Amino acid sequence: MSWQARLEALLQCGYRPFFLLSAASACCLMLFWLTLLNGWINWQPPGGMVLWHVHELLFGFAGAAIAGFLLTAVPEFTETANLPRTVLVRLALLWLLARVLYLLSPFWPASLALLPVALVNLLFWLLLLWHLLPRLWQHAGRMHLSFAWVVASLALLQLASLLANSLGGDPMAWLRAASGVLMMLIVIATRRISVNLVNGLIEEGRPGAPPPINSYLPRPPRSYLALFCIGLCSAVELWLGHNSITGWTALAAAAAMLNVLNDWHIGRALFTRWALLLYAGYWLIALGYAAMGASWLGAPLTTSAGRHLLTSGAAALSILAVMAVVGRIHAGLWLDRRPWLPLCALGLIIAAVLRALAGVPGLPIRALFSAAGLVWAGCFVAYLVAARGGLIAPRADGKTGCAAPLEHNAREGGC
Amino acid sequence: MKGPWYRVQSALAAILTYLWSGWGAIASLLLFCALWEWGAQLNGPLVLPGPQATLAQLWHMLDSGLAQPELIISTRRTLQGLGASLLIGSALGLLAGRSLTAAMLSRPLITLLLGMPPIAWLVLAMLWFGMGDTTPVFTVFIACFPIVFAGAMQGARTLDNQLRRVAQAYRLPWRMQLTDLYLPHVMSYLIPAWITALGTSWKVVVMAELLSTTDGVGAALAVSRSQLDTASSLAWVVAVLALLLAAEYLLLEPLKRRVERWRLETEQ
Repeated sequence: MSWQARLEALLQCGYRPFFLLSAASACCLMLFWLTLLNGWINWQPPGGMVLWHVHELLFGFAGAAIAGFLLTAVPEFTETANLPRTVLVRLALLWLLARVLYLLSPFWPASLALLPVALVNLLFWLLLLWHLLPRLWQHAGRMHLSFAWVVASLALLQLASLLANSLGGDPMAWLRAASGVLMMLIVIATRRISVNLVNGLIEEGRPGAPPPINSYLPRPPRSYLALFCIGLCSAVELWLGHNSITGWTALAAAAAMLNVLNDWHIGRALFTRWALLLYAGYWLIALGYAAMGASWLGAPLTTSAGRHLLTSGAAALSILAVMAVVGRIHAGLWLDRRPWLPLCALGLIIAAVLRALAGVPGLPIRALFSAAGLVWAGCFVAYLVAARGGLIAPRADGKTGCAAPLEHNAREGGC
Repeated sequence: MKGPWYRVQSALAAILTYLWSGWGAIASLLLFCALWEWGAQLNGPLVLPGPQATLAQLWHMLDSGLAQPELIISTRRTLQGLGASLLIGSALGLLAGRSLTAAMLSRPLITLLLGMPPIAWLVLAMLWFGMGDTTPVFTVFIACFPIVFAGAMQGARTLDNQLRRVAQAYRLPWRMQLTDLYLPHVMSYLIPAWITALGTSWKVVVMAELLSTTDGVGAALAVSRSQLDTASSLAWVVAVLALLLAAEYLLLEPLKRRVERWRLETEQ
């Protein structure tokens, strides 16, 4: 297939370029981080290596996944047209430029610090909002507007973090708050996906598929309580930092997430790979907040251990699940039943646990870091290999854009 | 035909589901702990020890065997007073509800009893019964009685006469009338009254013990107050609240859900 045809296919739907960038950046960013950590390369960006690592995994890897999801889901949820290819190209180039600028930051005058990176990242989020906000605002009932608030919060927190680095503040405090907003986005987004996924509506029409069920029904008050507790924990952490008040709010967030699991305890329907993927993500959020809460209340483990259960565990697992589902259905393919997906999900959980164990005093930190990083990056390499058909190959069903498979007769929503 | 193993499985699943549904309440309590901790940091440990210090003190009291005897004494007094008020109040309230005249007679008396402050009853009980066990038990009984009586009377008053006539026309056995008609309706009034009475009983017993006895949680609170030991005082309060929450969520709430199953079935 020619490069032109591949490029044509890549720009067919919003998720395609961004899921590709997200998975590719996951591998590259993690492997580069491991080389830095082991001292094989000497590269000192403004603000230090750790700031780069956290910033890029949050706004590079997760940012691309968020953009890909929203560029596909918002037109579907709001029943509007897909975004034009030129917009996708502009957004993808801005995203790439932001990553390259950060890599080049040690080579330009120190007085500039990370201001060019902040500017390009801000442009990326503003352009995304420019195209999505009118659709979310004008949609009946504005029921999906929360996506816009989350994107705006992420953009502001990123800007605050990079500005804090330039102005002598604590950039990491803002990034920690951004990780909380990412958890809120996971709760908001997976709630919408899970109804169709767990009840089997997403594959309605697939030959041989079991009939849809209606046992899974997420109760909004439970999610709202979880969102409130996570938001409160992030705000208190930003305000007070390492404090026992933050610890209690983190424990409340953990309990609120376990409360959300009440929706998921529906018997046999839970025991499918799709339901378990999202369910495990919720568990990791709960465990992450519980570990962070315990740490703030004086337990002998670092806060970073819990934080990595959230980011490298829950966020990565949820992103993999969303990419695996959205990347198939909107490419005209039924869901992937091959074993790579549960193996990768298991790999991400193991990587998160290994990374969390590195926060327990007395364990071999360097070996745990390396093992966790390699397993984690390997999972996204596997995704790129297994899902390349849905990313860079043209649709085989004759449909165009982001449409669902031909036989799909699901009602409103999709994924 | 569903076998015993299936029934055991279903019962276990129902218990687990019920216990898991408590996470929302736990989240709320943990948020309260955050607020408490904030107050503690603003005021200092002498005025308001934080939740961790209080829980540590409670653990120390339980570990050293200091807390259990006092908690058992207070629990016994609460159960005696509350049990008597539940039994007598429910029975008399149901009887009063069956007769319009009795309801007319008892309504002003209940208003009177509800308006009487428990501390006034306590003073009278101290004069009548002295400084012993009877004083707190009586005060709990008399403080809870009007609440339970009013609930039971209201439940009996609002019974649907048409449904009763239908039951009589179809000659429903008395047992079925009781369990399927009268009990579900009356219980929907009784259980909230029992829950309110439970909360009142613990408040009253601690107050009565504080003023009239030398043992029990109330008396221990008086000692810790005199020693300016705020951590111990809060630890006693937390212990009482824990018992109250356990009684409500492990006993009364499951009972309420069981007797109100018909509401859910009707809604579905």
